[in-house]
Amino acid sequence: MTTATLVPPPPPLSPMLARLADERATGALLRDHGTLYLDDGQVVHAESPAAPGLEVLLDGRLPQEGWQEAFDLAGPDGRVGRYLVDSGRLADGELELAHLGVLFDAAYFVLGPGGGPTRFRHGVAHWMGPVRPVPTRVLARECLRRRELLDALWPYPETDDSPVVRADTDFPYPVTRRQQDVLDLADGVRTPADIARLLGRAAFHTLVDVRRLAAVGAVATPQETPVPAPVALPQWMPQVTEDPDVALLRRLRNALEAL
Amino acid sequence: MSGIDACLVEAMELPGARGAAVVDWTSGLALGTAGEAAGGDSETAAAESAELARMAAEHGTFAPGPGRHRRNAQGQDDKGLPVEDVIITTRTDYHLLRYVETSFDSSVFLHLWLDRDQGNLALARLRLAELAERLVLG
Repeated sequence: MTTATLVPPPPPLSPMLARLADERATGALLRDHGTLYLDDGQVVHAESPAAPGLEVLLDGRLPQEGWQEAFDLAGPDGRVGRYLVDSGRLADGELELAHLGVLFDAAYFVLGPGGGPTRFRHGVAHWMGPVRPVPTRVLARECLRRRELLDALWPYPETDDSPVVRADTDFPYPVTRRQQDVLDLADGVRTPADIARLLGRAAFHTLVDVRRLAAVGAVATPQETPVPAPVALPQWMPQVTEDPDVALLRRLRNALEAL
Repeated sequence: MSGIDACLVEAMELPGARGAAVVDWTSGLALGTAGEAAGGDSETAAAESAELARMAAEHGTFAPGPGRHRRNAQGQDDKGLPVEDVIITTRTDYHLLRYVETSFDSSVFLHLWLDRDQGNLALARLRLAELAERLVLG
């Protein structure tokens, strides 16, 4: 018998998320890049500073007054999503498509690598309320798949959070209409997240466009370092970083640095 | 029953329907599925059908002809997708991909897998267009 030399793929679900799903927990999972909201062990909402929220995506469809009314009347009960449908502001399927889009988009950044320590606040609910709950395993698996998709397109992750710089050339790169929208807003300062917010598009979808644009050479690749091999963390790491204050301190530091 | 699920249930009522899914063509994620998965695995089916849908929607070869662009009130090109659907015919099956036009930015389509002997392509095409519209209009 030969010893298997294949390294097993990393488990897509963190032990903490798996435990919360098994316990059918309700509350908020806080990390450096945003928050996941769980209801009865399933993910019902996600938000991240890196991804445009539902109000940005639905800007033009649902006016500010619509949000305000729903928030005032259904916010206290955590049923804003349901209210938007019941009051005829949005169609059922329309809300589901938009909300799922936002949920998966934000979760990609929340659960991304280097997201820092994780802490969970039991009992916290988001004011949207459940729209179409997603099992944690499905979400974690999708986040991993998305990362692999980006690296398959162009294996330079720095492209994702660096300013988008157009290539200095007149060469007619083959770009699609959606990619052209991204290029038009690339001023050398805006990051893909900034461009996504201006376009009212999902941040991940903009990352896909920017990586494709970098792959054909229409935008510069920030740093020519391909994806490094994953480094295994020592066993004691999760215990140390479980400390909830570290996440708070990191956020504070980031906020101070951003001043 | 929710919008996505109701839409899929209705799609599965079409004669010869074997499987249906609502898929995002940028990420390749299935937002909902019903019936069997074409090829045996719903994740692969979503990713592969998404790739086809993306190419048809984005490549200039399949863009509508000049002068037929829909314009909005400001005279700009409408946000509407240039392609309405994609039909694949195999020896045994039909695959129908119908783009869903939403009021917000999205890249969603319906994938309907039909048995070729039992299915009625013309009927399915009309019905799927109607379902795609009702999904977002209620």
